[in-house]
Amino acid sequence: MKILAWAEMFCEYLGGSRDELPPGAPAFLATWWFAGLWWGLLAVTILLFCGQTSKFIYIDF
Amino acid sequence: MIFNTFAYFALFLVPAAIVFRLVRPAFQPWTCLLFGAGFFVYFSLTQVGGAPGAFCLAIFIWESIFSRFYRPRSWICLVGIAQTILFLVIFKYWNFFTGLVCAPLGRNPLFWRGAFLPLGISFFTFEFIHYAVDRYRGTAPRGKFGEYLAFILFFPTMVAGPIKRYQDFRPKLIHPSLAWETDWRQGITRILAGLAKKFAVADLLTALTDHLNHADIAKAARWVLPIWLLAYGMKIYADFSAYSDIAIGSARLFGLRVPENFDWPYLRTNIAQFWKHWHMSLYRWLVDYVFIPLGGSRTSPPRVYVNVLITMLLSGLWHGAGLNFVVWGLWHGMLLCAYRLWSNWRQTPLASATVPGPALITVAGLRMTGLEPVGPPRPLPVPAACPQLCAAGEVAETRTVRRPNAQVTEEAGWDNPKHQVFSEHRQVPGEGPVSWCAKLAAWGLTFVLVNLGWAFFCMDLPTSLFFFRRLFLG
Repeated sequence: MKILAWAEMFCEYLGGSRDELPPGAPAFLATWWFAGLWWGLLAVTILLFCGQTSKFIYIDF
Repeated sequence: MIFNTFAYFALFLVPAAIVFRLVRPAFQPWTCLLFGAGFFVYFSLTQVGGAPGAFCLAIFIWESIFSRFYRPRSWICLVGIAQTILFLVIFKYWNFFTGLVCAPLGRNPLFWRGAFLPLGISFFTFEFIHYAVDRYRGTAPRGKFGEYLAFILFFPTMVAGPIKRYQDFRPKLIHPSLAWETDWRQGITRILAGLAKKFAVADLLTALTDHLNHADIAKAARWVLPIWLLAYGMKIYADFSAYSDIAIGSARLFGLRVPENFDWPYLRTNIAQFWKHWHMSLYRWLVDYVFIPLGGSRTSPPRVYVNVLITMLLSGLWHGAGLNFVVWGLWHGMLLCAYRLWSNWRQTPLASATVPGPALITVAGLRMTGLEPVGPPRPLPVPAACPQLCAAGEVAETRTVRRPNAQVTEEAGWDNPKHQVFSEHRQVPGEGPVSWCAKLAAWGLTFVLVNLGWAFFCMDLPTSLFFFRRLFLG
């Protein structure tokens, strides 16, 4: 369970909803260069999959 | 659309966030409202409602002027609530309700052919009602004219939430975070993660969910149907949580924190916990402004069940003007009632004496409703702002860091007979060690029940009933 909770916190950090790294995570994950790398990866993912143009479900559903 | 358009970022978000950070504090609310007004008009003209939709900016102006007259215990607040509901009913439910009324005639002479929805009406309605009610109760400050306009026209949350509270938002607006570096870093990460989730997960699942129509269901193999429904369950989560991520990340660029909307809802092991972690800002709104005014949990037991059902029925109706949404709301209402029934029964001495611990299947059934086999409630051993792990290794049920505008109230929510739902240190009934198998079974059952409910959400009523007939009867 502790591992799952840690993984949850780690995912939240990667997703930007948590400001602090979970305890025990490598410190380089909090550096700007890692953030740049992560943003690059997310941007590539966005570029790969964008263009399907479906609207958000909850907007004036 | 909107949040995944270039215009949103280039014309509104980035300029507004930079200007907001650079201007003097006195002008910051006005920055929010000017960009918010531009956002409303631009996206009304280009995406929703057209020119009549853009004209609905007048609703915000009228609301901001009218709300100046709100006073504690004043009838003007009640008029404000009534007119807000009237706006919603006219724009969103006119054809639905007149259709129901005129059904015996076979046609609807009152049908509004040019009906349109003002951008974000389903959500700004919540904030208008919240302000009127809290001004009536005396729990919300009056604030300045510009501050309230900035609150209702704050564009990152205007269209689909998260639903804010004025007493929470105003202090942040007056004293926004000055930690540029952290705010922008986390905000950009959150926005990118949201966009990636939307494009790579939600939109990809559309290929499966598009089959949820009568024709495809009729000719599909039976084993495919649950996969399609599960895909919809994943899609709606990825879609709406992605939207919330972008909204929350956008607000973060301004240095403003808005409420969270999701907290791993699909990992929850009972329906009440699911609702407490799914669309959290809506859940809290429903509890504070529907369930509690109806009497909450402090009335006679039968009435409490009625209150739960009414609340969930309204929640369903709010999600869409259709009978399928009503049934979806009632489905969840019944699940919550079943949970509550079990919760109450389990806390009787008879239940404690008779519930057998070793019977795994029974345990699984109990876990489905959020309760472990035996044992009295015990408090979570977690102090206020502490790590989220308690001594037993369980994730704490409340998280102060994820609930920036949590309201501590002594009133009960619909899932806890002990009146502790919104306590920051609530007790979890019977929380204690339980086997992984039982937890897995409880999670699985909750997951299945929630996902079955999506059938009513994503298809009209006849199609969803046909879906279930094919699913269960072949």
